[in-house]
Amino acid sequence: MEISLPPLLSHPVVYANIISFMTISATLALTKTRVPNFAVATFGTIGIYISFTCIKILGIGLYPSLIFCFLGGGAVGVIIYWLLIKPLRRRGATREEMMIATLGLDIFLIALLNIYADFLTRNFKIMARDFTLEVYDFKAGGVDGVFIASTSIFFLIFISLHLIFSKTNIGIAMKAVGENPSLAECEGIDTEKLYVITWFLAGALPAIGGGFFPVYWIANPTISYFIIVTVFSGCVLGGFATIYDAVLGGYVVTLAQTILVSYLSDLVGLWILSYSFLVPLLIMIITIFLFPHGIYGLPWNRMINKIRSVVSGEEYSGGLRW
Amino acid sequence: MTFPGIDFFLVLIIYIMIFLIITLSYNLAYGYTGVPDFGRAMAAGAGGFLCGYLPGRLMAYLLGIREDYLGNVLLIVDKINVALEKDPLTSIGLLVLTLILGAVAGGVLGLVASLPLFRGIRLFYLGVTLLAIQISFNTIIYHWEPIIRGEFGVPVPDPFRWLGHYRPPSIAPSFMRLTGVIVTSGIVLAIVAYYCISVSRSPLGRLLKAVRDDERSVEALGRDVRKIYVKVMTVSYALTGMAGVLFAYYQRYVIGLNFDKVAWTFWPIAMVILGGLANNKGTVVGTVVFITLKRFIMFYKSDLEFILPFSPLWLEGILLGILLMVILIYRPRGLFPEIPEMPLSREEIEKLKKRT
Repeated sequence: MEISLPPLLSHPVVYANIISFMTISATLALTKTRVPNFAVATFGTIGIYISFTCIKILGIGLYPSLIFCFLGGGAVGVIIYWLLIKPLRRRGATREEMMIATLGLDIFLIALLNIYADFLTRNFKIMARDFTLEVYDFKAGGVDGVFIASTSIFFLIFISLHLIFSKTNIGIAMKAVGENPSLAECEGIDTEKLYVITWFLAGALPAIGGGFFPVYWIANPTISYFIIVTVFSGCVLGGFATIYDAVLGGYVVTLAQTILVSYLSDLVGLWILSYSFLVPLLIMIITIFLFPHGIYGLPWNRMINKIRSVVSGEEYSGGLRW
Repeated sequence: MTFPGIDFFLVLIIYIMIFLIITLSYNLAYGYTGVPDFGRAMAAGAGGFLCGYLPGRLMAYLLGIREDYLGNVLLIVDKINVALEKDPLTSIGLLVLTLILGAVAGGVLGLVASLPLFRGIRLFYLGVTLLAIQISFNTIIYHWEPIIRGEFGVPVPDPFRWLGHYRPPSIAPSFMRLTGVIVTSGIVLAIVAYYCISVSRSPLGRLLKAVRDDERSVEALGRDVRKIYVKVMTVSYALTGMAGVLFAYYQRYVIGLNFDKVAWTFWPIAMVILGGLANNKGTVVGTVVFITLKRFIMFYKSDLEFILPFSPLWLEGILLGILLMVILIYRPRGLFPEIPEMPLSREEIEKLKKRT
């Protein structure tokens, strides 16, 4: 039997997977290495162009190319750590300086990607801007391959990260480094190695997300400008704290944006699509004003206790102040 | 290879002056107070887009033109310019009014943009929020046609046109116009520079530096740090708003793509950091160096095409990105590192010494 998945379901979920890869990356970079990475969305664009190169020039399929996205993106992350983050860290740069440095990195990477797109167009006579890779996708029982692949790969990686951070020595050491690097070093933890691993993940995860992007949406070197607001909004909603909150934030923001705008476009017309970024912006502003520490900072225990007391009919006196 | 003419240097002076207004006001926010402001383009845009929206409509109303403004904007602005050509007083009045309103628009935007600080968020969050708001602001202006026709833009009435009309016969109208823009920008810059230098030498400047260096200590001494942040952002954005107005009047046309984040936020950041944070002299040097470099690259773009292995279009991004990263790694205090500001001139200090 063939199931047909409506675009209203598949597009938001694929987009949520892509954005969540990026929110995890930004949260990891901030919590484990204390670097606010403003170039996170451009790491996704690097993934787009690795995938594009693999398919169009090397003749590799869409999904096998994701391995190269992961490795290539990770390699870029490590190089950036060695050339930019490590020297800045060594001289004791402030968080604001790190922010500006990653902004500079973002501008530099976008210019490089543009040069690379020019190079592809000139030397290989292929359209390296405003392209989609939809034709390379497959269908399984009426469901788009990208929906199945992005969701399964996303959850596979998410579960792997959960296991790494909660069950392995490396994950626990990374937590320790994130909280107090000096103390972690005193305990004999090789912080340098952990920073490299973190930056590998910070580069690899958005690059995988980027690999899925051109299947549904038109891609070009400056596409990061259009998704960065959604990524930041997801991170702020999550609270820039743990990967779980980052995923939840990414999913909530993206689903709200895509579903709400899709619904509104039926209601008021297609012009509303140009303003779709206002949804994540609004979520970001509401989050900052109502619960500035995001989902992570919510008093979950007290909320659960209150719900329990309401369900059981007992009087609750714990208060519920955020 | 062609050499730039006199017009190139006049335009260069205009750009330097306009960007000096922005960088000096940015230095006040980031250099002195430590606010990571990534929304500067929005402040310039507030002034610039206001210039595209208001003066034309206001003049059309005053001249009794009741046609659909945006539908016939080219014709209407042409009529306005004909009227302004022979009316220096109205032209100057319009210019001053727009500058004031541009400052108000920038200030209001700065106030609104810094409100999240009252929720006790970290400065890093403010940086993220400002960047997001700035991208959204530009996208709204670009798509929402009722303001300035979005991507098509609108012409701006020219308050310097009368200079061409009353010029000596031997001088070209374009030269007179550019001179008018330079004089106006110079006056605004002088006011902004005087204000910024005065602040840096006053107890307020020392308070701002204290907030930047250790906000908890300042709070412990009874000052409301959040209020200080908001006030600085409001004033700094108001000053930048005037730069936006000047740019719009210089260009005589505003489109939704103007005041983008790279040119109006990231370049000024690089200028301030290269010159030296919390050092107005450094800011001036950084701005002059960067703007001159940028203008020469633009001028020689077609020549560079044969030298560079890639399109010169991307040279700006490569240069800006590398410069920002390299300066932050190797020279974070800039070319002119911060020095303690003397509240009084050296002679006055010497006099006081002698008296004591």
